[in-house]
Amino acid sequence: MPNPPAVPAALLHLLLPIEARESVSGDLLEEYREARIPALGQRRANLWYWRQVGGIWLRTYWWFVVPVILVLVVHDIFNTFRAPSGASYLDGLPPLALAPLSPLVGIGFFGLAGAYGSWRTRRWAGGFVAALGTFFVVWLFMAVWWNATLYPFAQVQQSNTYWIQAWQWSTHRAHPSSFFGFNPDTPDETFLRWIFWDNLGGLFFLGIAMLTASAVCGGIGSTIGLITTRWRSAAIHKS
Amino acid sequence: MADILGSFEQAVLLAILRLDDGAYGRAILNEVAARLERDIASGAVQATLERLERKGLVRSALGRGTPIRDGRARRFYTVLAEGLHELNEARTTHDTIWRGFVRPLKARG
Repeated sequence: MPNPPAVPAALLHLLLPIEARESVSGDLLEEYREARIPALGQRRANLWYWRQVGGIWLRTYWWFVVPVILVLVVHDIFNTFRAPSGASYLDGLPPLALAPLSPLVGIGFFGLAGAYGSWRTRRWAGGFVAALGTFFVVWLFMAVWWNATLYPFAQVQQSNTYWIQAWQWSTHRAHPSSFFGFNPDTPDETFLRWIFWDNLGGLFFLGIAMLTASAVCGGIGSTIGLITTRWRSAAIHKS
Repeated sequence: MADILGSFEQAVLLAILRLDDGAYGRAILNEVAARLERDIASGAVQATLERLERKGLVRSALGRGTPIRDGRARRFYTVLAEGLHELNEARTTHDTIWRGFVRPLKARG
């Protein structure tokens, strides 16, 4: 009998709580073999299986993804739409008002996803997958967001002092930096081309930073979640 | 006023009632998809079943697996008395809201 792709099948086992692991994976396997393979063929049935597992992940952990996305989007908006002087509208706000926009909030949510995931699945790896999945969905969203807003935001940025100075500094430096010998900045580079490469570089470095944060905080959160689960089970057994 | 069951929750509960002894995850999913005439994600049905069980409207128990699912157990669902009560309440509310109107509705003028 045909089998679904190994990666989503393994992810599914890490996503589901112990009481649902056998029945839900069995239901998907039955649907895959009995209905999807005959109707769609192996390749499209595999895609269907991937979508089902992705959907299960998203339904469980969307509420960790949304706050991180909100923090990043709000940051991007305030970074783009600046005062005519170039100053950010966030400057001068009290620390308490700025606290929800702190990168620590995003990092905290990776840890929370890890803790919740391991508590729910009673497996450390369940929490780790939750945290890494949160990173992946957020990063994918930001890739789409930055591409979709590149042109409209550039129309605003190219008339703002802050961004004009940043562009000129970047493209007219005496000793431009390069990344493994590659330097996309040139003196005659248009603003739009410069902001495109800036976005791409930002996406790359944001990805590395978030991946590291999700792995570390997700690991810590997963450990906390697992310990909490075992304490709770021990307390229930005692009573 | 107590929360009224959502339309998807009603669809899932009615599917369980319709399937009777055969109401396990995949069968419920296919029944709901057939009634709503659209593809339904397995996660949506699973999340709804978990929520209904937490609310005390359904009960579940593991049953025998089959070779096509590599022997993995199936989880069968039963609607409890509270679930029946909620379904009846939802239907009464629906009928009350629609009272005085003839279906299908038509635009005036």
